[in-house]
Amino acid sequence: MTLKKNNPNINKKKNKLPFKERFRKNAIVYLFLFPILIHFAIFQVFPFLFSFVLTFMDWKIIGNHEWVGLKHWMHFFQDKLAWKALWNTFMFSVYYIVPTMALGLILALIINSGVRFAGFFKGIFFLPVVTSFVIIAGLWGWLFRGTESGLINWIIGFFGIEPQLFLSDSSQALIVLAGLSILKVAGSTMIYYFAGLQSIPKELYEAAKIDGASKSKIFWKITFPLLKPIHFYVAIITTIGSFQIFDSAYLLTGGGPNYATTTIVFYLYQQGFTNLNLSYAAVLSYALFFIILIVSLIQRKYIGKDTAIY
Amino acid sequence: MKKIIKYLLLFILAFSFLLPFLIMLLGSLKEIEYALLDPFFWIPEDPSLGNYLYIFRDGVFMRWIFNSVVITVIPVFSQMFLCAILGYIFAKKQFPGRETIFWVFMAVIMIPQQLLIIPKYIMFAQFEWINTYWALIVPELWGIMGVFLVRQFLQGIPNDFEEAAYIDGANDVQIFFKIILPLSLPVVATVGTFSFISNWNDLFQPLIFMTQEKMYPVTVGLASLLGKEGNFGIEMAGSTLSFIPTFLIFLFFQRYFTEGIQMSGLK
Repeated sequence: MTLKKNNPNINKKKNKLPFKERFRKNAIVYLFLFPILIHFAIFQVFPFLFSFVLTFMDWKIIGNHEWVGLKHWMHFFQDKLAWKALWNTFMFSVYYIVPTMALGLILALIINSGVRFAGFFKGIFFLPVVTSFVIIAGLWGWLFRGTESGLINWIIGFFGIEPQLFLSDSSQALIVLAGLSILKVAGSTMIYYFAGLQSIPKELYEAAKIDGASKSKIFWKITFPLLKPIHFYVAIITTIGSFQIFDSAYLLTGGGPNYATTTIVFYLYQQGFTNLNLSYAAVLSYALFFIILIVSLIQRKYIGKDTAIY
Repeated sequence: MKKIIKYLLLFILAFSFLLPFLIMLLGSLKEIEYALLDPFFWIPEDPSLGNYLYIFRDGVFMRWIFNSVVITVIPVFSQMFLCAILGYIFAKKQFPGRETIFWVFMAVIMIPQQLLIIPKYIMFAQFEWINTYWALIVPELWGIMGVFLVRQFLQGIPNDFEEAAYIDGANDVQIFFKIILPLSLPVVATVGTFSFISNWNDLFQPLIFMTQEKMYPVTVGLASLLGKEGNFGIEMAGSTLSFIPTFLIFLFFQRYFTEGIQMSGLK
């Protein structure tokens, strides 16, 4: 921060230097920044704007493009399936966000509790984070086979529970997909919570112990409230992540049964790349964008200062 | 006694995280072609490498691995290099518009890639990039997140070395390679590992840009095998093969992953 205060002065001085001298000090800016900005314009800015224009057109892969005004937007507001997809995505978030945070926190508490081989366990819990969805979903699908030969059905059989259909049952499929995401992502929320736990001053715990507070009281009165910025941050990133869920629905259920796992991104994919209705898919992608934007703005408002981006 | 129970529970928890990987590994050693009626069908009675041999002979699977290597290795090295330079530029250089450009970069991070994929598909169809490596390499040559990470890192490092080098007459390209790059190696490693994971594991983009079987990366290829009854052993062997690079990177660079996750979120 102190650096920035000096910047204007440095700038003024530099502008008076001869070109050769300025080039010697700033060659890297001239050489690399301009190509990168062009790349940025082509692959980020232009698609973003073009996508918005697309929503007002009928874009066909082959043939002429027509302007259709608000047709696709009007259709979106009447499209029951689009709203179902949004609802499914919302329900997925409900099943996914709190358990992911809770499991991440529990794992962080475990590795922070002074157990032996903490690094080893941390690695094991983190492993699913770096593994591709395709691998994990493949295994998940076999674990949750909806027949008696499925391992999960075999396990719940011990508790006297009838075999479940899981992915073929429209009331269970979304929960099974959420379970997959929870186990896959908990390792990364664990890392955030672990960092948070380590930043809590040890003296607080010692003082509480002297006062004779119980372990659960220490957790609920000290640890949990002091992790507040991390709860908030983790909530935001898991929310954004949950709205973008696609891989497991594509891999395991294909959006079914009876559209029960058609999430907004899956629906967008289907509309755009199966039905080749690219313009309508662009409308759906903007709907997704607005939702994420709102979530991000809430983040900026409440914890923007903590993240130190701006 | 309490301690024993605690460790027992911990081992059960860790085991349940590892179980899917165990099923993958053991299942890959079992040749099965019949219907799977037993929940423990994945435990091989006589382990064999038949599934792996099948994959190596098959050709198309090795092609998928090769495709994944191409669309991963090039972006990884390019990201490490370019993000290091850009992070340096945004951390240490003075030029007009610096703050504005960086602010625009950070704003663009909020745009989900699912929004960009539709216009990109139309663009790449025009460029004739569909079913070519270009579609998955060129847009990934650098990344905003990587620039952000390197910038954060370099802002915490004093300017003394740089200024001493200027006085000695070095130009800034030399300074970058001789001073800045060696200094920022840990964060550059983080950028590389992140880039590896996101490219190697990506399903959504190649699913759309690669429609010919021979151009699939291993994620899309495996997805196309998924759910075909009876192919379990081969599917698991394929999964294991595609997991080996991830696992090696994870084993050697785990620290950079976790540090990167922390840096990207909390300062």
